[in-house]
Amino acid sequence: MTTTASDPTRHFFQPIIVCLTVASVALTLFVIWISLHDLSLMRAGREKFVGLDNYLRFFGDPRAMAALWRTVLFTALATVIEIALGLAVVLFLDRDFAMKRLVRTLLLVPIIMTPVVVGLTWRFLFDPATGMANYLLSLAGLSQIDWLGSPRIALFSVLIADIWQWTPFVILLVMAALESAPTDPLNAARVDGAREWQVTWYVLLPMLRRALAIVALIRAIDSIKAFDLFYIMTRGGPALSTETLNYYGYIVAFTNFDISYALAIAVILTIFTNVALLTMYSVLFPKAGER
Amino acid sequence: MAKLSIRSVSKSYGAVRVLDDVSVEVEEGSFVVLLGPSGCGKSTLLHAVAGLNPIDSGTVIIGDRNVTNLPARDRDVAMVFQSYALYPTMSVAENIAFPLKMRGLDRQTSQEKVAAVARLLQIEPLLERRPRELSGGQRQRVAIGRALVRDPRLFLFDEPLSNLDAALRTELRAEIKRLHQSIRRTMVYVTHDQTEALTLADKIVVLKAGKIEQIGTPLSLYDDPDNAFVAGFIGSPRMNFLKARVAEDGKAVLVGDTRVDVSHLSTRLVDGQEVTLGIRPEHLDEKQGVELTLAVDVTERLGSTSYVHGALPGGETVVAERREDQPRFGETITLRFLPGRTRLFDTQGLRLR
Ligand SMILES: Nc1ncnc2c1ncn2[C@@H]1O[C@H](COP(=O)(O)OP(=O)(O)OP(=O)(O)O)[C@@H](O)[C@H]1O
Ligand SMILES: [Mg+2]
Repeated sequence: MTTTASDPTRHFFQPIIVCLTVASVALTLFVIWISLHDLSLMRAGREKFVGLDNYLRFFGDPRAMAALWRTVLFTALATVIEIALGLAVVLFLDRDFAMKRLVRTLLLVPIIMTPVVVGLTWRFLFDPATGMANYLLSLAGLSQIDWLGSPRIALFSVLIADIWQWTPFVILLVMAALESAPTDPLNAARVDGAREWQVTWYVLLPMLRRALAIVALIRAIDSIKAFDLFYIMTRGGPALSTETLNYYGYIVAFTNFDISYALAIAVILTIFTNVALLTMYSVLFPKAGER
Repeated sequence: MAKLSIRSVSKSYGAVRVLDDVSVEVEEGSFVVLLGPSGCGKSTLLHAVAGLNPIDSGTVIIGDRNVTNLPARDRDVAMVFQSYALYPTMSVAENIAFPLKMRGLDRQTSQEKVAAVARLLQIEPLLERRPRELSGGQRQRVAIGRALVRDPRLFLFDEPLSNLDAALRTELRAEIKRLHQSIRRTMVYVTHDQTEALTLADKIVVLKAGKIEQIGTPLSLYDDPDNAFVAGFIGSPRMNFLKARVAEDGKAVLVGDTRVDVSHLSTRLVDGQEVTLGIRPEHLDEKQGVELTLAVDVTERLGSTSYVHGALPGGETVVAERREDQPRFGETITLRFLPGRTRLFDTQGLRLR
């Protein structure tokens, strides 16, 4: 093993690391610096230092708090449902079934589609008058739903689109983990007298635990940052009912031009994301007595 | 306790016939060893008995129950997998206790049993570790422990001692033998190790390419093989096979110019017929008998005895045991054997009796 000091490839990677570090540290400091002022594009050139005012304002801003809560709700629901659904699909599909390759290819379609197309497609499907969703409901004899127009429902409609787009991603990754997992321990459990659900619960799921944890982390990070589906499908409406913190930050910056406050929101979102993910990480990958 | 009957079991993977009409009867409480070269279907046969992969045709009967269509869980067998198949996410103790847990045994009894098995297999200090923190031999012992902790009707061992050092292997071999003698459970055991096969088995089944070549006691396979494959496979170093030609109206065969009397055989031999003469290395060190001259290449000294590798005047290579002296490279020595010790095979490898 060569140590980093003697490894000649360091001349290639170290400058890049330095550049990236300088860039990100400088940007972060700049963002924090601005967020401590009251820079607004409406009052250009008249900004002054306001200390933590923007941060205090955030916690007193009901619209921001509601957006934060919505982000938490959306992230939790999207991650849990996508993981559970993906895992269920993988476990119910046989290890080897006919047309597996075809199914795997089809699963890639939603992932590859751009969010704009996904969002528009689902907006058409959810259209109250001409949409497929209500047509199916009417076939089943159920009453119509105003999918994107009702403040109580709209967030869940976006959630459905997100689940549709990202559950296949979970399926693909878990399927790969399942295929690379050894089969003999499962057989050993069967010989040892385990029922199929016990084989799954005691042997298979613990073996897939790491893969599931990583997929969950990826999905959680993506959900917190979700923007495109909201932008295309609802623009935060109706009545702000689908406005997540990320989206609210965008509105503050580009509709209200209140740059300092928007950046304060961004900093808070970043801190919040990191704390949440680090907690999640340490729960999923305990260090001592690692399972 | 139960007997095991495997009747006409066949299994193919695609076009490859891995088990071809295999039938074995294992008496209640007996110890059967499966022997055969790598890839001949030993593991596949054990998996079929355990109910882990479906067979194409045939029947498996354990005790007096036809288990052919029963899932593995209901067959009440314990198995040591060739790959160990430990549960990677459980500790050693949890691994060994798993079959007890699945049978709903209470924690107290289960812990006592695990402790007893761990003591037997000398893995007590490892109980809290996870499989990936163990060496190959330690994993293997955990796998054995997981089987021994139960009291099944049938034990299946797939090369359970292959990764252990010589001392531990001898010890555990004796332990398995003792266990078998005390609990008298039916056991099926796969191994590549001659000593294990010969010391443990009541009966040996020799497989080759999914077909049974011969079934018999260790002694009968050694003394009275049905074909050249079994003769060569049982015994170490393996039997020497020499080209020979029948002469004297079927009363003798000629190996080069050496005449070997075969008048004790009941098969009618035809003069000029090509045959193969088999003679074991350990039978080439007699005081008198038929003589062969050997140009010595290498001598392996094993302490109590030596094995000499060399060539006959005809060029055929021969291995011979040598108990008294240790000839060196370049020397020419005389090997002597009794004609009664030779085994004769036809060109297909079938035994001529
Ligand atoms: N899942 C499978 N798919 C296709 N072929 C298989 C499969 N499992 C085993 N085989 C083939 O079946 C044959 C028998 O395999 P098996 O594992 O029973 O051999 P074995 O006698 O146990 O060998 P070894 O002594 O090396 O363990 C081999 O030729 C192997 O390639
Ligand atoms: Mg095998």
